[in-house]
Amino acid sequence: MKKLLVGFVVFALIISLGPLQVEASVNAPSYNYSYWGNSVAAPDAYSADMLLTGEQWNIGGLVEPNDLFVTADQNIYVLDSGNNRIAVIDQDFQLIDTIDTFENDETSGTFANPQGIFVTEDKHIYIADTGNNRVVHLDEEYRLVDYIEKPSSELLKEDFVFQPVKVVVDNADRVYVMASGVFDGFMEFNVNGEFNTFIGANRVQVDPIDLIWKRLSTKAQRSRMVMFIPTEFTSFDINEEGFIFSTNADGGKDVIKKLNARGTDILRREGYYSPIGDIRFPIDVGPSRLIDIDITDSEVYSVLDAKQGRIFTYNGDGHLMFVFGGLGNQEGLFHTPVAIERIGDRFIVLDKALGEITVFNETEYGQTIIEANRSYYQGKEDQAFELYQKAIEMNANLEFAYTGIGKALLRQGDYKGAMENFKQSLDQKNYSKAFLLYRKEQLKDYFPTIMTLILVSVIGITGFRIIRKSRKKREGVAIE
Amino acid sequence: MNRETVKYPFYLIVHPFNGFWDLKYEMNKKINLIISFFILFMMIVTNILSTQYSGFLVNIYNPNEMNSFLEIFYVIVPVMFFCIANWSLTTLMDGEGKFEDIFTSTCFSLTPLVIIQFPWIWISNLVSMEETAFYYFSTSFALLWFVFLLFIGNMTVHQFTPMKSIGTLFLTLIAMGFMAFLCLLFFSLIQQIISFFYVIYQEIVIRY
Repeated sequence: MKKLLVGFVVFALIISLGPLQVEASVNAPSYNYSYWGNSVAAPDAYSADMLLTGEQWNIGGLVEPNDLFVTADQNIYVLDSGNNRIAVIDQDFQLIDTIDTFENDETSGTFANPQGIFVTEDKHIYIADTGNNRVVHLDEEYRLVDYIEKPSSELLKEDFVFQPVKVVVDNADRVYVMASGVFDGFMEFNVNGEFNTFIGANRVQVDPIDLIWKRLSTKAQRSRMVMFIPTEFTSFDINEEGFIFSTNADGGKDVIKKLNARGTDILRREGYYSPIGDIRFPIDVGPSRLIDIDITDSEVYSVLDAKQGRIFTYNGDGHLMFVFGGLGNQEGLFHTPVAIERIGDRFIVLDKALGEITVFNETEYGQTIIEANRSYYQGKEDQAFELYQKAIEMNANLEFAYTGIGKALLRQGDYKGAMENFKQSLDQKNYSKAFLLYRKEQLKDYFPTIMTLILVSVIGITGFRIIRKSRKKREGVAIE
Repeated sequence: MNRETVKYPFYLIVHPFNGFWDLKYEMNKKINLIISFFILFMMIVTNILSTQYSGFLVNIYNPNEMNSFLEIFYVIVPVMFFCIANWSLTTLMDGEGKFEDIFTSTCFSLTPLVIIQFPWIWISNLVSMEETAFYYFSTSFALLWFVFLLFIGNMTVHQFTPMKSIGTLFLTLIAMGFMAFLCLLFFSLIQQIISFFYVIYQEIVIRY
């Protein structure tokens, strides 16, 4: 009986101690996709560090915030749409300023449900002031510079309503606006705020069965059917070189696009799979719906999947580097994530429904991959080689890292080692390159020996034949 | 087993008309069967080795899914399906070939596949990406040669006209499809029955 009692006490203790050991911050299990399309467990690349709320800065909770922007000097602009204001935060997450009105010449202006924000290098702020159907351009002192309003152009219909949702500005101060209900691409405005043109329209996605039905139906029927129209963009961002990266909700292979000045998609899709977010997903959930994109240095870009709350980061070749985040109630998970940005190598994720910003710090593993990729991009092959090696020690299943090692070895002249690594990453193109060099090297070494052997054997065989023939003849003669 | 018998398949693939004729009417049936089984065996060996050892540039294989036993089935099952389907059809269509004749002619037709693909297992390790075109050319050439031999073999064995043998070969393909379907049906039924009895067994065991 006593034994039983002790057992009970111990049992109760273990149960009560259990929850204490559970940490408040969790990371959804991290993974990556193998060449064969299986999801393979991977170490965490990022872990949630802290949570930022409006109460922290004594400005009241954020209400339905929609967008984030981080400048080069790491100031964070949070677009607090529900409160029609912008909160400016420094890199230590202390409030610098809030902007809810701006000086106009006569009156002061306000925002109405703004959806997108962009800050240029000289701290000019562009706000997609959706409710007021305009884009507001403020200078560094938050004074109004200009409005961009509904353009008058023959490209636009009479009843067109200008509802800007996102805005970016390139180095030449051209303004690109993503407006809702526009299917022709982004609206490009010149420096003076005049409408230039549309760029980068999405292609129309047609279901073959729908097309057959449409072909079979009469004109009257057709006019009542749903039109085939290209999908709208969901988000876009611009990198230092002036390329626009956009996301859309097509569900096809090119949900992420890198657009050049002519609006042509030039994204590299050299990875095992096209960068589309999740390639394996439950049928009832469906493919990822990418709603925000963020580009950093070395052509690395991250996209946010609204369906499963995950953030996918790809390198310039289109290889999936790591995945983190998810939906849930704990720190490090989100309810309705809407925007992602990077502060240096850290990530901040904005949650619309909760009005919170989650800050993610890179783990050693994440840091290694990012640094490896950066070193390779900058041409520091030796450093890249070491970092990739280190990444593989932490995650032997990181297939594309072997390509990195292989490329470094190829540069160093170790063709055999390069071949082995390219074989690991199942990279036939680079394997072939390494193999050709290896074969040349080997042939150079063994060419004299091989040629001598061939020559000797040819001479030997012909000589043998001649001797045998003549001997047979002689024997034949003898028999006759 | 003299020298002539070993050389015979090589003679047959370059002189198919004479070769198949002699195969049916002149040669020793027992030796024919032995050679046939040997060719079939070599085909299996080629198949297994090529999935494992072909060069990386022409063959990316998943070691988790590579199964030598399955590779054996991939050779034997189509050959047997073809022979059975062809025999069933030609019996109804006044073909003169016996099952044995059909089997030996089919196996002899496989010869070019073996003699071309077997060396390529090793050579494919010595080529670059651009040179893999030769590999694909050779394998398709071997395949065409095989189909041609199969056609001539069928024609000779059954004493059909060319058009009729093309027709039979086409029908054979359809019959093979039917057989595959029936086999699947049969196996899934067996599986259902087994699981049914297993469930009954479990029910009884758990209850008492």
